[in-house]
Amino acid sequence: MAGDAKDFRMQEIHTPSAFEGALWAAMGITDARTIFHAPPGCSINQHVNVLVNDWTAELYSTNLSYADVMQGAEDKLEEVVHKVIKKDPTAIIVITAPSVEVTQDDVEGVANKVGFQNTVIVRPPIGGTATDGKDAALLKLLDIMQTEADTLPNSVNLIGPTYSTFNWMADVCELKRMLAGIGVTVNTVMTAGATIEEIQRAPRAGLNVCMYPFDCGVEVAKEMEKRFGMPYMDDILPIGFESSARWLEKIAGFFSLSDTAFVREEMQSAINFARSNMFFTVTFEMSAALSFDNNNTYAVGISEFFAAEAGVTNVLCSVSSDQAAERVKEVCGRVLVSPTIEEKGEAFVATAPMAIFGNFYDKKISMDQGFQNFIFADIPTIGYLSTENCPFMGFRGAKYLIQSLVNEVYMGIFLETKGEMTGPISTGAVPWDIAAEEALMKVSEMIPHFVRSTAVKKLHQVAEQTAKERGSNVTVGIIQEVSDKYTPTKFKAKFSAVFEDNGESSPEPAAEDDEEIPVDSLAFGMPWEDDAKQMLELVPSPFRQAAVSGTEDYARDHGYEKITGSIVEAFRKELGM
Amino acid sequence: MPLKSYEHCCSTIQALASLGKIEGVVPLLHGPQPCLYQNQVGSMSCRPAQLVTAGTLINKSDVIFGGEQSLKQQIVNLYNKYKPRYVFIINTCVPQLIGEDVDGVIMELQEEVPDLKVVYCNTGFNYPRSMPLGSDTSWAALVRAFPEQEKVAGSVGIVGRTGQDAGNMAAIEVYLKKAGMQTFVFPAPHINEMEKIACAESVYSIHITNHLTCKKLHDRHGIESRFIEIPAGIQGTSNFLRAVADRHNNQKLHDLVDAEEKRVQPELDTIRKSFAEKKVRMLLVTGPANEVSIGKIMAEFGAEVHVVPCMKNAFYKQEKKIMQERYGVTFIEDDFDTIEDVIDDINPTVVAVEFQAQVESMKRFVPTVINMLYLTEYGYDYALDLGANFFANLKQPVYEKWQTLMEQYGG
Repeated sequence: MAGDAKDFRMQEIHTPSAFEGALWAAMGITDARTIFHAPPGCSINQHVNVLVNDWTAELYSTNLSYADVMQGAEDKLEEVVHKVIKKDPTAIIVITAPSVEVTQDDVEGVANKVGFQNTVIVRPPIGGTATDGKDAALLKLLDIMQTEADTLPNSVNLIGPTYSTFNWMADVCELKRMLAGIGVTVNTVMTAGATIEEIQRAPRAGLNVCMYPFDCGVEVAKEMEKRFGMPYMDDILPIGFESSARWLEKIAGFFSLSDTAFVREEMQSAINFARSNMFFTVTFEMSAALSFDNNNTYAVGISEFFAAEAGVTNVLCSVSSDQAAERVKEVCGRVLVSPTIEEKGEAFVATAPMAIFGNFYDKKISMDQGFQNFIFADIPTIGYLSTENCPFMGFRGAKYLIQSLVNEVYMGIFLETKGEMTGPISTGAVPWDIAAEEALMKVSEMIPHFVRSTAVKKLHQVAEQTAKERGSNVTVGIIQEVSDKYTPTKFKAKFSAVFEDNGESSPEPAAEDDEEIPVDSLAFGMPWEDDAKQMLELVPSPFRQAAVSGTEDYARDHGYEKITGSIVEAFRKELGM
Repeated sequence: MPLKSYEHCCSTIQALASLGKIEGVVPLLHGPQPCLYQNQVGSMSCRPAQLVTAGTLINKSDVIFGGEQSLKQQIVNLYNKYKPRYVFIINTCVPQLIGEDVDGVIMELQEEVPDLKVVYCNTGFNYPRSMPLGSDTSWAALVRAFPEQEKVAGSVGIVGRTGQDAGNMAAIEVYLKKAGMQTFVFPAPHINEMEKIACAESVYSIHITNHLTCKKLHDRHGIESRFIEIPAGIQGTSNFLRAVADRHNNQKLHDLVDAEEKRVQPELDTIRKSFAEKKVRMLLVTGPANEVSIGKIMAEFGAEVHVVPCMKNAFYKQEKKIMQERYGVTFIEDDFDTIEDVIDDINPTVVAVEFQAQVESMKRFVPTVINMLYLTEYGYDYALDLGANFFANLKQPVYEKWQTLMEQYGG
């Protein structure tokens, strides 16, 4: 077989396709009925997947058998459409599955034959993204929109939130609240939670607002401008206090309304929030990794908000489009575009964030790496209960983002630094090697101030306990072990250099540690000089590949074409080693 | 007095936080419920373990008839449960007001349970200012109870600021050890280790807070104790170590200091340059005495420093003189109403305060650091780390952003 075993990588399957996108867009219309023209397995998976994220979602299926697919399934579809009509839906949306796209059933023919008035057919492109699927469904919905009535004064449509868009319900709720605050109503949400009547009257709004312009909806807005002459807005993301104010200001300006009183009240609340003792004190020394492969809009908006208004250092951001990457690179240390799960895991270790925002896979891989502070912020999830309560967008969303980050990290780190409720404080007088004392001092400099004193006490106590159990002094090796296991966040790669510099040998790895990975077996993307490779010998085996990736990223960012010893040294210094 | 109390916490919390970091000592809060609740919760952030605190929960009946019996019973309960080396009564405001006979309780217990050692100190409104005195007075009470010990020839002891220093004084201790000096540290995480301070021939205070403790070490254990200066910052650390070296004729310690000064000089120069460019004017207000030590570090870097001190004991006066003469630090000892008034007066570019004042400083969009986060601030590397990361951690652009936001949208 071609390729060595070590080159094999898992195919990435954590990004949804156009079929998911189309189904999510369709299923969110509450009084329509969606028929997935698909085998039963596809239908079950899609239906359950939506129910993981959204409260109620109806999905009918043609439950095609192999024979149906091979012989043509139009009859089956016709039968199911007739049955669904008896349920008195306001519209029927038929979405074809990949197998049907291959066999090219005449779905349009069936729809014409049945003749149900509001029938929408969506044929998602095989190989397309969720964005492609959502846009395809939304564009098809334009065909049932009605244009005869007058424009409703001071009204907007919100384009973009669909079922399975993470947190759509809370974001829509907050944006509706904000708009109501300046006297603007939401005519239609396209499409999560909408009715067919609302979809049909969409052209009556004065303005289309794209909620997720880095993900979907802009094409739809452009088409609505073309067909119905409706202007649209896609240039401001209502994430963070400033952007939320600007977003509202622009909409108010469009309708010649005043937003001053409402925004003033929100900003007064915001500044009081910023004056609280837990905001800047904690966020200024905080770092975050933002993994938003399935929500580029969140990636852009949240990274900019964190950097400008909360002082959070975005050490890593993962997106799925070059457009988003171009924007976030201004405020993020390292940007990945559609990375593999493996690449992301390596990046987590290399950048050592204090908190990670992400999806289920991010949660799992970060847990495996020893990271503890995590906030769910994207799909896929395997069971996440959403409500209207915790937006990421808007003024309340800005507060909630900070609230969730601070509470997750502060309390998490804080409790890690505590002993047992009635546990011992010290095991007694235990002698320390001077080198061990010096190593602990260096380790403490890497811990954020807001937990430094208590974290160091914990390390001190555990080190002494370990030494006492072994009948030894506290040595550098014990400090290394303890730092590895008990530091508030896993700074493995950072701390390892402290122990190299001490020149003391590390303790023998325990039986369950990873095997030794020879430097020559690592994957190098750039040429490395021998002295640079030799420096990798000093990095603990499990982190050598991450060290290679990190160093090469650093070199590329600084315009180097080859890795030398001095470049490795400069990168270590940048990491604070 | 100011309209608000801007100090870090009550002296009771300081005593509790310091004692709560010593294995072998169980603190007992003698007071009514609100006192116990607030002090227990307030000290939670700084205690490594033993987060549940014993208390006597003085009620109305105790106030009228005296709470000595419940106090005595609670001491016995603690002893039976934990068998600590010391039970330490922290005597708060209410029992002092009603004149509880704590000495009497202790005497009775000494006869009934000879192995039980009970110590106490008065806190609360005894120290309406100078919360760190809660630590000092509790330590002094402990030192008084320590058994006498044979002095170790040539040994030195170092006495830290508050309980947070227990196990965290390596930044100074390491040099003394490398110079071959047997060193005892106070505080320490275990009472057995802490008692060994009584073995030191001479003791050096490394902060302004422990005047009573050092005095007690002298009066009770005959140990010569000195305050040289706080070993914070480069010059402060060097001066402290050199003074110790001179007193003990230790050339090796001098050599170590020479080497460290050479090592840190380039980075110190870089830090000074950045401070000169950015022209820092810093106001530090009543932390747990670290407003003085952090202020010293900042002044060495070239900042214009104004300090509202939390205490004015003999050690403070010595340190104040050094900082005034060496760095031109201004000490604000007159009363004021609010920190906002002081900020308007001085117009600092950064303030270091506790949470109560942060609410005020943020109104002015002055970059604010919280005192209680900057502890164990001794030695060369702490200062360098603080200086090298100072402007990055301050996040001035975020304050500027908020100022603009409020001007534009806040009305």
